[in-house]
Amino acid sequence: MKVTPEVLKDYVFGELDAADRRAVESAAAADGALRDELARLQLTQSALFSLREEELPRRIAFVSDKVFEPKWWQVWLNSGPRLGFASAAMLAGAIVFHGFVSQSKAVIAPAPAFDQARFEQRIAEEVARALPVALEKAEQRHQVQMATAMKDAEKRYVRLRQDDQMALAASYDLMRQKQAAALVSYAQQGVRSEVQ
Amino acid sequence: MIFREVEDRDLILKAQRGDVDAYNLLVSRWEKRVFNYLLRLVRNREDALDLCQDVLLKVYQNLKKLEDPGRFAPWMYRIAHNEAYSLLRKKKPEDDIDSVPFELPSIGGGMLPMETALAVDAALRRLSEDQREAVVLKVYQGFKFEEMSEILGCPLSTVKSRLYTALDLLKDALAPVGDSRSTS
Repeated sequence: MKVTPEVLKDYVFGELDAADRRAVESAAAADGALRDELARLQLTQSALFSLREEELPRRIAFVSDKVFEPKWWQVWLNSGPRLGFASAAMLAGAIVFHGFVSQSKAVIAPAPAFDQARFEQRIAEEVARALPVALEKAEQRHQVQMATAMKDAEKRYVRLRQDDQMALAASYDLMRQKQAAALVSYAQQGVRSEVQ
Repeated sequence: MIFREVEDRDLILKAQRGDVDAYNLLVSRWEKRVFNYLLRLVRNREDALDLCQDVLLKVYQNLKKLEDPGRFAPWMYRIAHNEAYSLLRKKKPEDDIDSVPFELPSIGGGMLPMETALAVDAALRRLSEDQREAVVLKVYQGFKFEEMSEILGCPLSTVKSRLYTALDLLKDALAPVGDSRSTS
């Protein structure tokens, strides 16, 4: 058997069988370097063993301790007849619920039948009552709109007439200026011909 | 040890049938070992105690699922491992302080037992969580490689790799070259 560093470690860890252990011991006895290496490993191991186990600061709670005891309701839930009781309770609850729902349905009154003639008559009455009022309001609204439109039109007409008058006056002034200029020019031409 | 195992098996069978006293006796036998295993993983006494309580309660609640009472210890330690790693994942950011390197005294120079224990504790802290757990399960809890594989939920080769690497690191820290003769 070849004694490798791993085999030496297995020897130290106690993982070798008796035959392999003897082989390692023989090899170490014959080889100084191997012996030194084995001594270092054993020294390391003995040093590791110097670290003592620590005591527990306080004892671990046993499962029978109070802290692990089930609550009264847990005991009750885990008791033998719990299944029967639970079934009975569910059945009773279902009966009560069904009774309540049935009663609630009986109290509800049936919906009245639909009267088409009365419905149409009601509509006609409503239309007859509301239509004149709506027409009158529409007429008043129309008259107001007409009056407003007339006033606006009159204002617009007055403004247009003023504009026309101003434009006419301006044209008249321009024509007079042209006429004056023409007279002046004509007069100058007459004087020049007399001189010649 | 054989008698102990036989009695444990008997207690487990009784507890599986609902015998609370049998389980309480089982707890009193295992609580210290489980507590120390958890303590070396989470490195906080209160956390370890709370975890130990939770683990032993879970074991009780799931004991009927254990088919082979002979596998009780690896099965229980698997639960403990899961609980511890669940806590470690939650507390991960606080552990950064452990990555700060520091000098360790070697144990070959006539150290007192307390100093040796401190040096070992410091050396263990320098290991990764996986490596430290492998050492704790092997050295302090005495599990076989196959049982460790079951507890850790990883292949046998991974278990061995973690353990061999951890032992090399511990050896370099605790028994540097040249020190072996001083104590042998």
